[in-house]
Amino acid sequence: ICGPNAAIHGLVYDGCNFFRQRLVLSTLSGKRVKIKNIRSRDDDPGLRDFEASLIRLLDKVTNGSRIEINQTGTVLFYQPGLLYGGCVEHDCNPQRSIGYYLEALLMLAPFMKTSLKATLRGVTNDPTDPTVDLLKSTALPLMKKFGIDGDGFELKVVKRGMAPGGGGEVVFTCPVRRTIRPVQLTDPGKIKRIRGVAYSVRVSPQMANRIVDSARGVLNHFLPDIYIYTDHMKGANSGKSPGFGLTLVAETLNGCFLSAEMTSTPQGQGDPVLPEDLGRNCAKLLLEEVYRGGCVDSSNQSLALLLMTLGQQDVSKVLLGPLSPYTIEFLRNIRDFFQVMFKIEVKKPSEDERNGGDKVLMTCVGVGYSNISKTLK
Amino acid sequence: MDKRVGDSGHCSEEDEDESGDEVEEDVSMEEEDSTAEAEGSFYCFLSSGAPRWKESLQQKASEAFLRQQEAAPNLRKLVYGSVADDSEVGGMFRVIRPQKCKRFQVNALDCSRFNPDTSHNWEAEEMLNSIMDCFVTGKWKE
Repeated sequence: ICGPNAAIHGLVYDGCNFFRQRLVLSTLSGKRVKIKNIRSRDDDPGLRDFEASLIRLLDKVTNGSRIEINQTGTVLFYQPGLLYGGCVEHDCNPQRSIGYYLEALLMLAPFMKTSLKATLRGVTNDPTDPTVDLLKSTALPLMKKFGIDGDGFELKVVKRGMAPGGGGEVVFTCPVRRTIRPVQLTDPGKIKRIRGVAYSVRVSPQMANRIVDSARGVLNHFLPDIYIYTDHMKGANSGKSPGFGLTLVAETLNGCFLSAEMTSTPQGQGDPVLPEDLGRNCAKLLLEEVYRGGCVDSSNQSLALLLMTLGQQDVSKVLLGPLSPYTIEFLRNIRDFFQVMFKIEVKKPSEDERNGGDKVLMTCVGVGYSNISKTLK
Repeated sequence: MDKRVGDSGHCSEEDEDESGDEVEEDVSMEEEDSTAEAEGSFYCFLSSGAPRWKESLQQKASEAFLRQQEAAPNLRKLVYGSVADDSEVGGMFRVIRPQKCKRFQVNALDCSRFNPDTSHNWEAEEMLNSIMDCFVTGKWKE
């Protein structure tokens, strides 16, 4: 992947896929990156508005970044500055939900100079990206395991805004850490309870109840301890578009979280879904996630692997379900930016246990990354 | 055991192509490659005078066992495929197939979500049974 002129342009990549992880790893490692052939054969070539919006967000949280984009937008050169943090407000382009931007911020936030307080506006829930509700209930507890916690660690959904109109708002605050604690997450333990949020905006509040009933219908087969909150935001807090959805989280005895979610089809973008179907299908997605298993759910694999990589110089182990294509590329990018390669072992569940599919044990030694820009008090 | 041997043979396609003919004419190969440490011990075996086909069986079995032991490098190879290209281990393992850089569409949607395996039918009783012990209501060890 690294071209012959890697020394001048840093790492060179092709295409806009895995755009965020490359920019995030570039920012953390301080290595320059050049991304070329961005939709170069497309009728509408170059960067999209949402990618430009992400770049602007990166520019806001860093100091001294240099960003060059060619005329057609098909080539991007990024020289990262220092992660600064502080209070940041950003209007996220509604082509992608806030989750898209937040996933990048979650990876950067612990390594800022001053603790981050980001107010993000836009689409809080859409069917494509992990929603803010999902990140709140899975990514944050995961980061806590790596020693990122404290009072100021919070993700708050102030206003809900469904796709396509958006109009939602979340506030994400994260304390800074000098070092990241290595972890040994090799046994998730059994699932003790299932929690969830069924939300609805600008539709009948009854929708959320219908979702809850159908989801419980599937999950009651396994566990009695199920509680799904209903969240109906009104008026100014309900955004610009109608919609509903469900986020389900299974919590294990050892404090691991597996999640699944589903959101209604955005207005005017296809066949509408019934809340009953949505509830049932979302519950099945959760069962699928339980089948995959591991200590980290599929949408947070790369976050866990990043924090393992950046941990102190000690061995970290995390048990995952099957690696997602996104995670596989993330591992390759970690190798490019941090020269860290993981030991990857397949763990087959024993014959007499009904614990779902094969698991993957990821082991690495952290690079001993320390946040040198963190201010000492 | 038989099944496992077969399995591990399938896992590493790249090695298969090379080692396939090596095993058959192991005498000639063995002389050339005696530099490697593992080959050294094998050489001693040969000179002990046992029937040749037995040696080759043992060789095959131990190779299969080692491959089984190294089940991880298969996944590792899948992830870090290109690394194997520039690191030739003892001149024995060489990746014949060029690394496919375009494994993913380079301009596809940048999304972290892992879409579920559609072959799983969560209506079926057997699927539901397959995850029973993941819950506290399932069977416990001891």
